[in-house]
Amino acid sequence: MALVLYTNAGNTNAFKALITAEYSGVKLELAKDFQPRVSNNTPEFLKMSPLGRVPVLETPDGAIFESNAIARYVANLKADNPLYGSSLIEYARIEQWMGFASAEIYAGLVRWLSALRMFPGIDNDPTKELAIVLLKRSLDALNTHLANNTYLVGHSVTLADVVMTCSLCRGYSRIMTKAFTSDFPHVERYFWTMVNQPNVKKVIGKVKQVKALPAVQSQRKAPAKEQAKPKEVKPKEVKKEAPPPKAAEAVEEEAPKPKPKNPLDLLPPSKMILDEWKRLYSNTKTNFREVAIKGFWDMYDPEGYSLWFCEYKYNEENTVSFVTMNKVGGFLQRMNLARKYAFGKMLVIGQNPPFKVKGLWLFRGQEIPRLVIDECYDMELYEWTKVDISDEVQKERVNAMIEDQEPFEGEPLLDAKCFK
Amino acid sequence: MIGTAHPKVRTDRPRGGVLYTNAGNTNAPKALITAEYSGVKLELAKDFQLEVSNYTPEFLKMSPIGMVPVLKTPDGAIFDSNTIARYVAKLKADSPLYGSSLIEYAHIEQWMDFSATEIEAGLGRWIYTARFGFGRTGFNALMCVFATKVLKISLDALNTHLANNTYLVGRSVTLADIVITCDLCWGYSCIMTKAFTSEFPHVERYFWTMMNQPNFKKVIGEVKQVGVVPAVQSQSEGSSQGAGQSQGDETKGGKVRGSSSQG
Repeated sequence: MALVLYTNAGNTNAFKALITAEYSGVKLELAKDFQPRVSNNTPEFLKMSPLGRVPVLETPDGAIFESNAIARYVANLKADNPLYGSSLIEYARIEQWMGFASAEIYAGLVRWLSALRMFPGIDNDPTKELAIVLLKRSLDALNTHLANNTYLVGHSVTLADVVMTCSLCRGYSRIMTKAFTSDFPHVERYFWTMVNQPNVKKVIGKVKQVKALPAVQSQRKAPAKEQAKPKEVKPKEVKKEAPPPKAAEAVEEEAPKPKPKNPLDLLPPSKMILDEWKRLYSNTKTNFREVAIKGFWDMYDPEGYSLWFCEYKYNEENTVSFVTMNKVGGFLQRMNLARKYAFGKMLVIGQNPPFKVKGLWLFRGQEIPRLVIDECYDMELYEWTKVDISDEVQKERVNAMIEDQEPFEGEPLLDAKCFK
Repeated sequence: MIGTAHPKVRTDRPRGGVLYTNAGNTNAPKALITAEYSGVKLELAKDFQLEVSNYTPEFLKMSPIGMVPVLKTPDGAIFDSNTIARYVAKLKADSPLYGSSLIEYAHIEQWMDFSATEIEAGLGRWIYTARFGFGRTGFNALMCVFATKVLKISLDALNTHLANNTYLVGRSVTLADIVITCDLCWGYSCIMTKAFTSEFPHVERYFWTMMNQPNFKKVIGEVKQVGVVPAVQSQSEGSSQGAGQSQGDETKGGKVRGSSSQG
């Protein structure tokens, strides 16, 4: 019975098993018609690999997931396989470097790629910086080891080299430019030697080193309507995608998808003009309640717009006043992309810490705009409730928030910020 | 706190080497428990201080990024706790810890890798964002929520497997059980409360059974599950305000995945 490997094309983790098979004289069949995200989510597949992880090897005795485990199995099909070294200590060292390749190199690359996707176009982002620092530390250690060693263990290719090369390969082809890798000359020597070994080249083919960091559209620079929206940019998307591509075994990244027209622009026209409200709000200096608040309800269109209360979920964190206010400020900055469709008031409430952050938002449409949920990660940090304007109590709360009423619900206001 | 009971070793056992580790390190038990099952003697290095001893030039020659534990064998040093456990297991010929067939061996390796990439990494992410974060308070909270969700998915898969299996592979303890139990132990002792783990009843059954096996108990001792979830750390605002008192060493020895060397 054949050994069948389930994988999408170009999966560097699957290469481990395939290269090992070449070295070991083992024949592996590739499963036909494998479609990422589809084939690995069927009930049959999930019986083999409970998290839908790819690659998977189907053997006569059962299925195996985890790319390193698969490679080990394949290597063990050949008795006394030199890929496993020739002594117990060599075996241990091989395992050690396999662990290092996965936990330090591969995981490090994934951390960096994820950070890039989450914070595109932002320089000096701490998440990205940290990811790069950690990866460099690991590459440095690898570089030092390879200064005096042609191969990771012993004097010929072992399973450690197969795993390490495949892990590095992902980095070279996605994110590590020449400028970056030239800091690690021994890793360079090693990598290019390995990918040119016949058994490796047969599987991986020609490796092209990436020329520049992956271009991910910055959401700050482009206007809200026209920007291309790569699917992986938002933390929420990363949340859903992260289990398989965290080890990126299910899917290689997709090209950024051009964004369709904003559905809010396609709504039937409303008698309320948001800009008019914003002007009224800003220009009313006296008799605010009689002029601005009354004016608001006169122009409010409950079909074309909706009102929402929000409340920060982690108020116990808010112990330092200026930090709390910065937090709100950051949220409002990120809401910039929705300026055409939103008006908001955010209140920081309380005499003493912890301060409570509560807000009122007016959005175009009956739901919180998709655009806002997708692009503004702060949304997840707040509890959102739609206002029922037939409830006088809620209506009055809306008024109180628009006019920065003090005391608000019995407490003084530390700050009130307006998004308009 | 993880028990610091050291195994009482007989002097007639084969010598595995010297284990460098700090007390309370939740990765070191992998090697020590394996040694118990394998009838191997491991010596513990004296006066090891985390963050000090593992950054000396001599230590870095053994373990280039200061990873702890390290096993100094007669033939050289090895790092990476799972590797050390494998080495110790192999000191005994035909060890049942490695299963009795090729497919069992592959499945043992599969679950060991699963433990590393899903459980250990998942816990690391959660603990890191809850305790240290990325310097952005709101973002820490978000990443913490995300980390918890991802870990739950992994534990769910494990729970499903353990619904029909007493042990991870085959019908007796293997290296996979030792590794995953130690990784889970880290979580139980510092961030996974009863409320959290009770969603995974088969994992609960499995974990407490394993922890009460004589060879496990001898090495780890008694473990108290954490009582209150530590609140999300606000990095810019100083020390944690949570009511939770961590009962475990959340840095898991000298190796903190995804962070600079936090103590």
